[in-house]
Amino acid sequence: MKKDSLLTDTATVNGIEIAYVDRGTGDPVVLLHGFPDSHYLWRHQIDPLVEAGFRVIAPDLRGFGESGKPQEVEAYDMRVVVNDVVALTQHLGISRAHVVGHDWGAAIAWMYAFLMPRRVDHLAVFSVGHPGVFSTPSIEQRKASWYMLFYQFPGVSEQLLRRNGWRLFKEIMGNEGDYQRYPRELARPGALTSALNWYRANRSPEAELRVESNFPPVLAPTLGVWSDGDKALLEEGMTGSAKFVRGSWRYEKVTGASHWIPLDQPEVTTELLLGFLGTETSAAAPARRRRMYGRSA
Amino acid sequence: MSEATDDAPDVVVVGGGIAGASAAAHLAASGLSVALLEKQAEYTDIVRGEWIAPWGLQEAQRLGVDECFGFGGGWEIREWTQWDETVAPGDAETVDMTRFVPGVGGPMAFPHHTVCELMAEQAADAGATVVMGAQRAAVTGGEQPTVTYRLDGVEHELRPRLVIGATGRSCTVGRQVGVSMTNSVHHWGGGLRVAGLDDWPMDVQAMGTEGERMFMVFPQGDGMARLYINFPTENRPRYQGDGGVDRFIADFELSSLPDGGASVYSAATPIGPLKLWPSVAMFPEQSIVTDGVVLVGDEAGNADTVLGTGLSCSLRDTRMVCDVLTGGDDWSPAAFEPYLIERKFRMERLHFGADIVAKLYCEFGPEAMARRRRARELMEENFAASVTGLLNMVAPENVPDFGFSEFFAERLFRERV
Repeated sequence: MKKDSLLTDTATVNGIEIAYVDRGTGDPVVLLHGFPDSHYLWRHQIDPLVEAGFRVIAPDLRGFGESGKPQEVEAYDMRVVVNDVVALTQHLGISRAHVVGHDWGAAIAWMYAFLMPRRVDHLAVFSVGHPGVFSTPSIEQRKASWYMLFYQFPGVSEQLLRRNGWRLFKEIMGNEGDYQRYPRELARPGALTSALNWYRANRSPEAELRVESNFPPVLAPTLGVWSDGDKALLEEGMTGSAKFVRGSWRYEKVTGASHWIPLDQPEVTTELLLGFLGTETSAAAPARRRRMYGRSA
Repeated sequence: MSEATDDAPDVVVVGGGIAGASAAAHLAASGLSVALLEKQAEYTDIVRGEWIAPWGLQEAQRLGVDECFGFGGGWEIREWTQWDETVAPGDAETVDMTRFVPGVGGPMAFPHHTVCELMAEQAADAGATVVMGAQRAAVTGGEQPTVTYRLDGVEHELRPRLVIGATGRSCTVGRQVGVSMTNSVHHWGGGLRVAGLDDWPMDVQAMGTEGERMFMVFPQGDGMARLYINFPTENRPRYQGDGGVDRFIADFELSSLPDGGASVYSAATPIGPLKLWPSVAMFPEQSIVTDGVVLVGDEAGNADTVLGTGLSCSLRDTRMVCDVLTGGDDWSPAAFEPYLIERKFRMERLHFGADIVAKLYCEFGPEAMARRRRARELMEENFAASVTGLLNMVAPENVPDFGFSEFFAERLFRERV
């Protein structure tokens, strides 16, 4: 098996090859990583979740790890990535799953939850709050997100980030996450452009300024987790997400962890998930919801 | 070359350090069949060079192994501050090192063993056979050279077209094919890798002289650094035995550094062994190219380590030799003539520069202090007097000629003018 990989399968879904972990039997849990990680972010959680009786699905999202890496910016629009997750779960015969996300994976999880409420059982989001909070960011949030804006300069920033032994990238990352592994991962053909395209497609300065308010509500019971060592994201981004959730809302603050909560506090992360997934009742049962929206089955 | 088999590869590289591993990676990527023999079963910190000049990084780029530095924990250093007991900490001169070689940036500090490991991995990925834990490598030169080694108690023999000897200062291959060295030892040095330097500016490398130590701090990012001290040979016991590491770190309490060096000595935690070595210059007495065997890196002779150009030199060697091996089918000693000519010229310059650096910064006592004070005044008066420092930035052939004249050296030391 490849180093730093727990992958078990690959599938071509939504027009792209997605590599993923599929282990265990039971209620499905989909684990979505962020920038610049892969399924490997969840390495400390996968075994305990499988042992606790879940079926764990952990893909490398497009642009990362072993999955396909289209080079066009548009290919990384969040709606496209959400469709990857829909298509992958459909391919695996999963109609409804617990969805867990960190960083960009959390953003995808939020969108998945409000666009496809029937496909989401429980929702657990780490570090990144609901996009509605970011559409009207505070001054502090803008400052904290400075690096997102930095990645905007197409073509230049790859070179800037990687030159002189990835000096600028190392300065931005510091000693957080899998910082020693990331440059090597991102140096694989097309990987750095793909990873940056996540920002380019979804965090343009215009998008930051555009106020969107018509998000459908999140119906799933939702757990929001933020860490006090996060240098890029503020607590208000997570706590302010409560108003977009119609299901039950639980907020947990993890201390002693950088932005990379699943790596810095692996046991705490696992316990939070085991203590939450499958414990609440959805704001609307699937059958009732069908009537509520007046859609035909 | 196409008839190469497992037992008869095109090239056997003996020694998996920076010189050997980079050669194996480049030659394998160029389509040659290569076996790389490394003595260690796995790469560990055995305290080797951890600073590479911009011109060395340029050679790494040419060889296609430059990313190994970045991936292996390499950290670009941007400024060089030369401290000294004759200068107040705030008055020490700082040089921006990022603009000497286009497309490279400043020099890099890095953990040696992880970079070697990545180069060996790159060689293996490109198709080379990498043998870790190869013991008792023995080379016989000639038109049909052989290399034998033991692995897990089993004897192996390889019959390559050519052997590259890259065993560093142990000169194992060189001795086997009849190349002897003359040595001169000017002083001793010690090195230790540390973490915890959170208050040391990671952009800045320190060099300086105070008391009986010439000290160096080379940041590796994230609060890590390689610390070196060069010292008079008779001070060796100070850093040996129980408490040697503590005394080594404590010796960074220096009045010439800001805060008296507290951001180093009161913060440093060792993350590797302390090793001491004679700061030796080695001169080969026979040709480093013989029938079937070419020596590269320290194995081919090296300047005093205090100059810090050993790794850059190794990569230049590798590149020159690889140019011959990938440039045509003539691998006879005559084909390596350009390498021999270039290396002779280069080493003359590096030895000359190392002698100046050693005399200026690695001699101790009142007379040496007075010499440093005079030299510093001269450098302040005329920046050209700092020409020797350019050897740490640009390739030796690009350093102005006057820096290698006896007239310049005498003028710098003002002992006869």
